[in-house]
Amino acid sequence: MPLHPDIATTASNFDVKATLADNRLLSLWRLLKGYRPHYIGANVMLALAALFNTLSLLLLMVFVDDVLVKQPEGWFSLLLLVAGAFIALSIGRGVFSFWSGKLAAESSEGVAVRLKDYLFDHIQHLTFAYHDKMPTGELIQRVTSDIDAIRRFYAEQAIGVGRILILFVVNLVALLALDWQLGLLSVLVVPIVLVMSLFFFRKVSEAYDKFQEQDGVLSATLQENLSGVRVVKAFARQDFERERFERENHKKFELGKIFMMMHASYWPIVDVLTGFQVVFGYTIGALFVMDGKLTIGTFVTYMAMLGWIINPMREMGRLIVQMSTGLVSFDRVAQIVREDWEDLAKDKPAPIPALTGNIAFKHVWFEYEAGKPVLEDITFEARAGQTVALLGSTGSGKTTLLALLTRFYDYTRGSITLDGIELRDYPRYFLRDQIGIVQQEPFLFSRSIRDNIAYSLNRDVSEEEIVAAAKLAAVHDVIMEFPEGYDTVVGERGVTLSGGQKQRVALARTLLKNPPILILDDATSSVDTQTESEIREALQAMMGARTTFVIAHRIQSVMNADLILVMDKGRIVQRGTHEELMRVDGMYRRTYDMQARIESELEQELSRVG
Amino acid sequence: MSDNHYGFEEEEFHTSLNSSTLLRILGQLRPHWQMALGFIVTVGMVAFTEAFMTRLGAMVIDEAILANNRDRLIDIMAVYAATYVVLAVCVYIFIALAGKLGQRVTYDLRKQMFNHLQDLSLRYYNKTAVGWIMSRVNSDSERIADLVSWGLLDVTWAVMNMTAAFAFMLSINWQLTLVVLPIVPVLLYIANWFKKRILVHYREARRYNSKITGSYNEMITGVRVIKALNREDSALAEFGVNTRLMYTSSYKAAWYSALFLPSIYMTSALAVGAVMIVGGIQIENAVTTGMTIGGVNAFIGYITFMMWPVQDLARVYAEMQHAIASAERAFSLIDAQPDIVNREQAQELGTIEGQIVFDNVTFFYDDNKDVLENFNLTINVGETIALVGATGSGKSTIVNLLCRFYEPCEGSILINGRDYREYTLQSLHSKLGIVLQTPHLFRGTIADNIRYGRLEATRAEIEEAAKLAGAHEFIKTFEKGYDEEVGESGVLLSTGQKQLISLARAILAKPELFIMDEATSSVDTLTEDLIQRGMEAVMRGRTSIVIAHRLSTIKSADRIIVLERGKIIEQGSHRELILQRGHYYNLYTKQFRKEREQRYEQALQDTLA
Repeated sequence: MPLHPDIATTASNFDVKATLADNRLLSLWRLLKGYRPHYIGANVMLALAALFNTLSLLLLMVFVDDVLVKQPEGWFSLLLLVAGAFIALSIGRGVFSFWSGKLAAESSEGVAVRLKDYLFDHIQHLTFAYHDKMPTGELIQRVTSDIDAIRRFYAEQAIGVGRILILFVVNLVALLALDWQLGLLSVLVVPIVLVMSLFFFRKVSEAYDKFQEQDGVLSATLQENLSGVRVVKAFARQDFERERFERENHKKFELGKIFMMMHASYWPIVDVLTGFQVVFGYTIGALFVMDGKLTIGTFVTYMAMLGWIINPMREMGRLIVQMSTGLVSFDRVAQIVREDWEDLAKDKPAPIPALTGNIAFKHVWFEYEAGKPVLEDITFEARAGQTVALLGSTGSGKTTLLALLTRFYDYTRGSITLDGIELRDYPRYFLRDQIGIVQQEPFLFSRSIRDNIAYSLNRDVSEEEIVAAAKLAAVHDVIMEFPEGYDTVVGERGVTLSGGQKQRVALARTLLKNPPILILDDATSSVDTQTESEIREALQAMMGARTTFVIAHRIQSVMNADLILVMDKGRIVQRGTHEELMRVDGMYRRTYDMQARIESELEQELSRVG
Repeated sequence: MSDNHYGFEEEEFHTSLNSSTLLRILGQLRPHWQMALGFIVTVGMVAFTEAFMTRLGAMVIDEAILANNRDRLIDIMAVYAATYVVLAVCVYIFIALAGKLGQRVTYDLRKQMFNHLQDLSLRYYNKTAVGWIMSRVNSDSERIADLVSWGLLDVTWAVMNMTAAFAFMLSINWQLTLVVLPIVPVLLYIANWFKKRILVHYREARRYNSKITGSYNEMITGVRVIKALNREDSALAEFGVNTRLMYTSSYKAAWYSALFLPSIYMTSALAVGAVMIVGGIQIENAVTTGMTIGGVNAFIGYITFMMWPVQDLARVYAEMQHAIASAERAFSLIDAQPDIVNREQAQELGTIEGQIVFDNVTFFYDDNKDVLENFNLTINVGETIALVGATGSGKSTIVNLLCRFYEPCEGSILINGRDYREYTLQSLHSKLGIVLQTPHLFRGTIADNIRYGRLEATRAEIEEAAKLAGAHEFIKTFEKGYDEEVGESGVLLSTGQKQLISLARAILAKPELFIMDEATSSVDTLTEDLIQRGMEAVMRGRTSIVIAHRLSTIKSADRIIVLERGKIIEQGSHRELILQRGHYYNLYTKQFRKEREQRYEQALQDTLA
C-alpha cells in the first residue's frame, strides 16, 4: 500500500501571504516551502532515470560490439551479464521514475491542499467590505479551478519542462561523447522544432480560447432557452429557438474544425522535419561506420538515442504555453491572498470579563468610500437593559449603525464606548461572542435544524437548550410538524423553509447564545403578525436583563422601546420615546400619521363600496 | 424544481460496460461513416509505417552497413524518407478526420438534444434541474464524441500497432517472436490492475472535490454568520477533513499512476533481456538461424513499440466507461417522451368565440397530491378574470393548464365547446399572449425581444406595441433606443421595465387570450402606473386571466376568483366580495395597507430628496 505522507505544514502555521514576491516564479518557489526537498528530489530522480535510460542505450553498444560482433572467449557469460545489466538498468530507471512521480505528486498535492485550507481560512477572515463587493461565483472560481491550475503547474508543466530539458541534455552529452560531429549534425532540426512548437501552441491556444468563448455563448443560449421555456412555448417559438441554437452550434463546429486543422497541419510538418533529420543522421552515421570511424554498436545506440533527443522537443511549446496559463491562475489567487485579514485578536484578553450593556455613541461617522459618509454624527446612549428601536426607510443607515457594534465595519470618526471602554479596544472575537445579531435575510447552513440552532455555541449543546431556544422563537411547533423534527435537513439538500420559518430558526440560533446585547435587524419581517407578537412577548419577558436593538418599519414594533431613533440618510433626525416623539411634528409622527391615514382611507374605500 | 440534483454533487459512474449503450454510441458514426473509415484506415497505416521504419532500421544495419553496400544505403534511405512522407500524410488525414468527426458528433448530439428539448413538456422541466440538462448537452455530448473519434482512434492504433509489430517480428524470426509473445498478456494484466486502482482513487478524489467546492460555496455565502458567531475555527476544521481526504485519494491515484509506467517498462525490459540472450545465441548460430544484428535490434525496437498501446489501452478503457455513463444520461434525455403532444387528427383552433370551460378538472403534479380537485370555471369571451389567493392555492396551475403546459389529469378544458386536446398545440399557443411574473428576456436588442411576439412584425409595429404597453418612453431614453442590448452586455433593466417589454411583446402577438402573472416585488410608482395602463390597453375587449397582486388590477377585473388550496372559495366583482366581508375582504385590506404604506413612504422620500 502507498505511504500516507503527512502534509508538511498546515494552513494554521503556514502563511501563504508571506511567500508572495514580486516575481511570480519566485513566489511559486517559495510556496513550495516544506516541499522543496521533495520537488528538487523529483527532478533529481528524473535526471537519474534519464541517465539510467541513456546508460541502457549505451549498453546496446556493448551488446552489439563486444558480444555479437566479436564473440570473444566466454561470450555467453558476457551475454548474460549484458542482458542482466540491461534489466538492472531498466529496473533502476523504473524505480527512479516512480520516485520522481511520487515526490512530484506529494509536493503538488500537498501544496494544493495547503493552499485550499489557507484560502478557506483566509476568505472567512477577510473583511465584510471585501465580501460586500466580491461576487461569490468569482471567488469559487478562483479557489477551485485556479488552485487546480497551480497544482498542474507543479505536477505536470514545470516538471514536464524539466523532463524534456534533462532528456535533451543527458542524451546529447552522451551522443557528443560518442562522436561530436555526428552529435552536432543530429540536432540541426531541434532549434527549428522548438521555435515551431512555441509558435504553434501559442496560436493553438488563441484558437482554443475563441472556441471556448463560443462554447460559452452556446451554453448561454441553451441556458436562456431552458429558463425561458414557458415563453418559448407560450409563443410557440420552438422553431425560432432551434434556428438560434443551430447558428451558434454551427459556429462552434466551424471554430472547432479550425482548431483541429491547425493540429492536423502542425504534427505532419514536425514529423517530416524530424524524419529528414533522422534520415540525414542515419545516413551520416552509416557512412561513418562504413568508413571505420564508428563501430556498428555505436550506430545501434545512436539510432535508439536520436528519438530521445528530438521527439520530446515537439511538446515543449505546449508545456510552456500551459505554464503561462498556470501563472495567470496564480496571479488571480495571489490577488485574494494579498487582501488583509480582519483581526479577531483572539489572543488579546478582553478588557472586562463580560459586558453589562451600556453603550454610548459620540459623534460617530462612518464611510465605506472616502467622502461618502453612510453615517453622520451619530450620538446616543443606551443603558444596560434598555431597548432601542431604529426606525427609518431602506438605506437610511440603520443596519450599518448596528454593524459597527460587532466591528463588522470600523467607524471612521468619533467614539463608541461599551461599558465605558472604547469599542476599538475590545477584540472583535469578544464582541461577537457577547453581541447576538439576527439578520433580516438569515443564512442557514445545509444541515439539520438542530445543527443550525446549535451553530451559535462552540460547545456541545443539550437537546433542552435547543428546544428552549426554538420555543422562544416560536418555531418549535413548526419543526415538530416535519417528519424528522429537529433532524430535518434544510436548504439545498433538504426541505425549503419559508422566509418566516428561516427567520425564526435564525432567531433561535441567536437566542441560544443568550447574549447580553441583542440586535434584531428586521428579524421578524416575514413572520405573520400573530406569531410576531408572540415572539415579541416572549422576548420582552427575557429582554429585561439585556440591551436590545430593534430595527423595524412599523410603529407597533417600536412604540414600546425605551428610546426610538428615527434615521434618515445616515443621520438621526429624531429621538425619544413614543410619547415624546408624538408630541412634535417630525418624521416619526408623520409615519404614525401615515399609518393612521391609511386606516382611515381604507375605511373610506370600503364605505364607498358599501 | 427537483431536489435530486445538487450543483456540486458529483454523479456516480456506472462501472459496468453496457454493450447496447456502446452500440448506440457507435451508431452516432453512421451518418459520417466515410470519415470514420478514413481515419481508421489512415491510423492503421500510421501504425504500419511506424513498424515498417523499425524494419528499415534493421535493413540499414544488415544490408547496407554490414554488407558495406553504399548504393543499398542510399536506396534504403530514400525509402525511409518516402515512408516519412507517407506517415506525415496519414497523420494529417487522421487528425483532420478524427478532429472534424469529433466536432461533428458533438454538434449532432447537441442539436439533437436541443431540438428534442423544445418538444418536451413542462412536466419534464419541472422535475429536471436546469443544471442537469446543461451538463448533458454541454459535457456528455463531448465525452461521447471523444469516444467515437479519439477513443476509437486510440483503440485502432493500439491494435494495429501490436499487430504490425508482431507481423514484422514474425517476418524476421518466428522463434524469437515466441520469446516475446508471453509478455503481451502480462502487460495487459498489469495495465488492468493499475487501471482499476487509479480509477477508484481518482473518482474518490472527484467526490471529495465536489464536497470541497460545496463547502467553499457555503462558507462564502454564509460568511457573515460565521463571523458573527465566531465560528471560523470550527468551519476550517470541518473543511480540513475533506481536503485531507481528497489529498489522500488524489495522492493514492498519483502514486499508482507513478508506478504504472515504470511497471510496464520494467516488464518489457525482461522481454528485452530475453531477446538479447536468445537473439545472441541465434547470432552465434547465424548460419542455421539466419539471425542478424539488425534483426535483434529490430526486436528490441518492437518491444518498446508495444509498451505505448498497452499504456494507452488502460486510459481508453477508463474513458470508455465515463463515456458510457455519459451516454446513458444523454440518451435518457433524448428518449424522454413529451407527455403533451398533438393528438392524431388534431385540428386547428380557429378564433376563440365561445366560452373557456374548466369542466371538473382534477390535477396533480408528480407527488400525487391534488392541486385542483373537481375544479369548475367558465370564462366568457372578452371577460377579465383576476385570480387571487396565497402561494400554493393553485393560481399558477390554472394558468399552466389553460396554456396546455400541462393537461388535466381528470376532467377536461373546453374551448369553443370542444376539449382543447382536440386542437393542435401550436394553434392554441399562437392565440396566447403571456407576461410572466419574472419576465424572461433573451439576449439581443430590445426590438428583438419585442419581435419575439410576432417574428414578421415591422419596426413600426414594434414601436406601436411598445407605445401601447407604455414602454416606448423609457426605451427612448437609452442611447441606442430599441437597438440597445439587454442583459449582461447591455443595459440592466429593472423588473418593471422588463415587464413593460414583455407586455409589449404580448401586445404585438395580438393574442385572443391574454395571460398575466403580476410581479410581487415592488415596482416604483411611475412604472407601476405605466404597467397598469398597458395592461388595460391589452385587456380591453380581450379574454384575460391575471394572477393579480395589485389592487388596481384586481379591482378593475370583471370577476375575481379567490382561491384556497385549489378551490374557489369566493367569486364575484370587487363590490360584491367586499360586502361579503370574507376572505377577499381580509386580503384586500391587508394589501391596501401594504400598498399605501409603500406609496407614502416613497412620497416621503421624494419630498425629503
